[in-house]
Amino acid sequence: MSLLEANNLSVIYEPRGAEPTYAVKNASFSLERGEFVGLVGESGSGKSTLGFAVTRLAKAPARISQGTILFDGRDIASMDEEELRKQRQGGFAMVLQSGMNALNPVRSIRKHFGDIFAAHDHVPKSKRLARAYELVEKVELPRDVLDRFPGELSGGMRQRVSIALALSLEPQLMVFDEPTTALDVLVQHAVMGTIRELQKSENFTALLISHDLGVVLESTSRVMVMSEGVIVEDGTSEQILHDPQHEYTQMLLGHYADPRAEVVEVPGLLVRGSTISLTGHDTVLGVVSPADGDPVTAAPSAPATPVRRRAGRPDAAAIVVDDVSKVYPRPRRGSDPVTAVDHVSFTLEPGQSMALVGASGSGKSTLAKLITGVERPTSGTIHFGEARVDRLRRTGLRDLRREVQMVFQDPYSALNPLHTVEYALMRPVLNYTDLRGAAARTRVLELLDTVGLTPVEQFAAKLPHQLSGGQRQRVVIARALACDPQVIIADEPVSMLDVSLRAGVLALLDGLRVTFGVSMLYITHDLLSARLVTDQIMVLNQGRVVESGQTAQVLRFPQDPYTMQLLEAIPQPQRAGAGR
Amino acid sequence: MWYPLRKLGLLLLTAWAAITLNFLLPRLMPGTPADAAIAKLAQNGPVDPATRAAIEAQLGVPTGDTWSQYVQYLGNVAHLDFGVSYTFFPQSVSSLVMNALPWTLVMVGLVTIVAFILGTLLGVLAAWKRGTWLDTLPTLGGTFTSAFPYFWTALLLVFFLGYTLKWFPTSGAYGLESTPNLSLAFIGDAIGHAWLPALTILVTSVGGWILGMRNNMINTLGDDYVTFAEANGLRTRTVAVKYAARNAILPNLTGFGLALGGVVGGSLLVEQVFNYPGVGYLLFNAVTNQDFPLMQALFLMITISILLANFLVDILYGLLDPRTRR
Repeated sequence: MSLLEANNLSVIYEPRGAEPTYAVKNASFSLERGEFVGLVGESGSGKSTLGFAVTRLAKAPARISQGTILFDGRDIASMDEEELRKQRQGGFAMVLQSGMNALNPVRSIRKHFGDIFAAHDHVPKSKRLARAYELVEKVELPRDVLDRFPGELSGGMRQRVSIALALSLEPQLMVFDEPTTALDVLVQHAVMGTIRELQKSENFTALLISHDLGVVLESTSRVMVMSEGVIVEDGTSEQILHDPQHEYTQMLLGHYADPRAEVVEVPGLLVRGSTISLTGHDTVLGVVSPADGDPVTAAPSAPATPVRRRAGRPDAAAIVVDDVSKVYPRPRRGSDPVTAVDHVSFTLEPGQSMALVGASGSGKSTLAKLITGVERPTSGTIHFGEARVDRLRRTGLRDLRREVQMVFQDPYSALNPLHTVEYALMRPVLNYTDLRGAAARTRVLELLDTVGLTPVEQFAAKLPHQLSGGQRQRVVIARALACDPQVIIADEPVSMLDVSLRAGVLALLDGLRVTFGVSMLYITHDLLSARLVTDQIMVLNQGRVVESGQTAQVLRFPQDPYTMQLLEAIPQPQRAGAGR
Repeated sequence: MWYPLRKLGLLLLTAWAAITLNFLLPRLMPGTPADAAIAKLAQNGPVDPATRAAIEAQLGVPTGDTWSQYVQYLGNVAHLDFGVSYTFFPQSVSSLVMNALPWTLVMVGLVTIVAFILGTLLGVLAAWKRGTWLDTLPTLGGTFTSAFPYFWTALLLVFFLGYTLKWFPTSGAYGLESTPNLSLAFIGDAIGHAWLPALTILVTSVGGWILGMRNNMINTLGDDYVTFAEANGLRTRTVAVKYAARNAILPNLTGFGLALGGVVGGSLLVEQVFNYPGVGYLLFNAVTNQDFPLMQALFLMITISILLANFLVDILYGLLDPRTRR
């Protein structure tokens, strides 16, 4: 008998005053004892809803509308609340997506454990403390974590505490809903490692829900792929990797590539081949001779005749960052000042695209703030052409922003939900250009056309909530383009987007460079996308540049251990089964 | 240990600023109180030097430079000496305030606390039982009653409970024939008189707490830690109280602190309607009679008590929310 068997399970969303929609449609599957199964899909595919349904956590407006869930032979789909509550000990546990917020901020970790033991009484009172110690050690945390409050722990530690809490139920089934999505690359790698080890040592059945096929294939023996509420494929990890049947699975797999490969190819993007100068490791940044470009790639580093509309505007200028440091004052009493950026120098030439990579806290976003004049460096200088960015005041900053624009990470919060797309794009046009009236509107529509949001008239009238994440990010890019800038600083522009949408947005950014000669500083933790859209790369670790050079060179033949660590942390479908 | 000390420092600093402002503001106006009084008299004819001397003796004429006045003022404040009231001459301001304060503190203070506790409990219940009659009734009722104007509620209560049903006396803080003392009979009498004004304040203020708490609670119920607590099969009561409500109450504490601080200012309208001899009533008299010493003392007291209440809430926050203790 399977541990869990879902038959014809459907989950319906019935929001008040809106049409009901089926999030999960007639899902049937089973989980065998001790199995590690993945559930993959994009946002909106219904994978989390399914996870919440099989652990009976679905809340209104979601409702299990039909089907049975046999857990250990008993139907839990129709079980009443109190019986269900008792089932959770020794039954099924869940680790939530945003483990950051899964802990009660006003309760110590010790009390979190205490609440669970008190609720189920499955550990005698005298042994509870010892059991809690044992559990936190299992997730590789120090014992004194029990005396801390959630706010005092890092994201990775909090997620480990969540896992330990779920384990304290001694569950037969653990459902992990995007357990590492909100975490930093290196931390994600470590936490996934812990999950794999625990699954082996504790021998629970695990269901890993993720949008990242790479993460899933690395850990699981079987994968279910979900699209639009339907399980479209269910097979062993090897089958999924080598012989995907459904086109959706094929598409997902198509977006994986090893940034270390000689030629990296992702559908919808220009191929960037091995653009390596034979002279070896090139550390002089900003010097890209056309000879570096592989003739086959058709992605020259400097465009021949960029189409520009900048009449009477200064010529293309480089951003020169010279020995810049940024030190933030002590965040709280007793701690040390934080050096976010530590003596960084580089040059971003016109028309060049450079990646700035590193784990979170490496100082990449601080560097972006310094270059855009949002913050001032503690020491060092930043030049944009003739202007000293670190000394600019109001009108100077205004002139700078005409030339240097940002694309933000989160397209969901970068647009005012109350204004139409046209309004969002009209603001920079009115603020930074001389266009007025009909001409300004024409420019707005032109921008929408540039970023591929057609028919433009329709998109102009839409409100942000009517757009998908990818469409929103295109609007954000269009907004950055409105004043015809020379430089675009893109801070993790695709990290919030689904895999299938990423290529499109990346291709757009790359195309802007080719057609308009815009130079780009591409900030990311994702080395694959850095390989795809940039020529130069800088690797930051704790505010210091540990390695820099041509992207292909650095990623293929990394010299610094930190770069190697980052590369190692990238989930690779090809490593399927390696973890087991 | 740093957190309360830092808050205490902030309290002392703002209190000093308030006292200093209270000292400076009247001095920024031209002339002295005696000049103003004499100018008023002069409209009816010339004021002879004897009258002028008498008025100056009564109201006082500033002596010395501003700095020595300031030092003297600080000393007076420390001894709670705010001078003599114009309206209730020759009673001192502090004795007037001390007579009014207990009535307000007990009646308005208690009812503010009761309204907060009652509103919070009903709000928690409404959010937990969302969509049932336990939600609809307090939510709709709260919306309804919190929109009532004080005086209108007061008139309704006086008419039905006081006049028609004759359950409670309709005005004053105690019967005309009794004098304040600590006998059981007098306390019973005072409680009887407090019912109507207290109910008026309760009816109009409890709705706000219900709605605020319900909304906060609905937010926390959607938070991940509540879902995770449910996933771990915690007891329903634990989830509702220690996870959802415990976090939902935090934003409401600030409002409660302000309400508590406002207690000392009395409930002007309610005390006026019921002739209740509290601070609000006193303040109203002081304003209508241009009794500046009394007003100044009352404003200072209100400011200081709001500061104190905020300090207490900050300390409470530090105890209830580990995130603020840094």
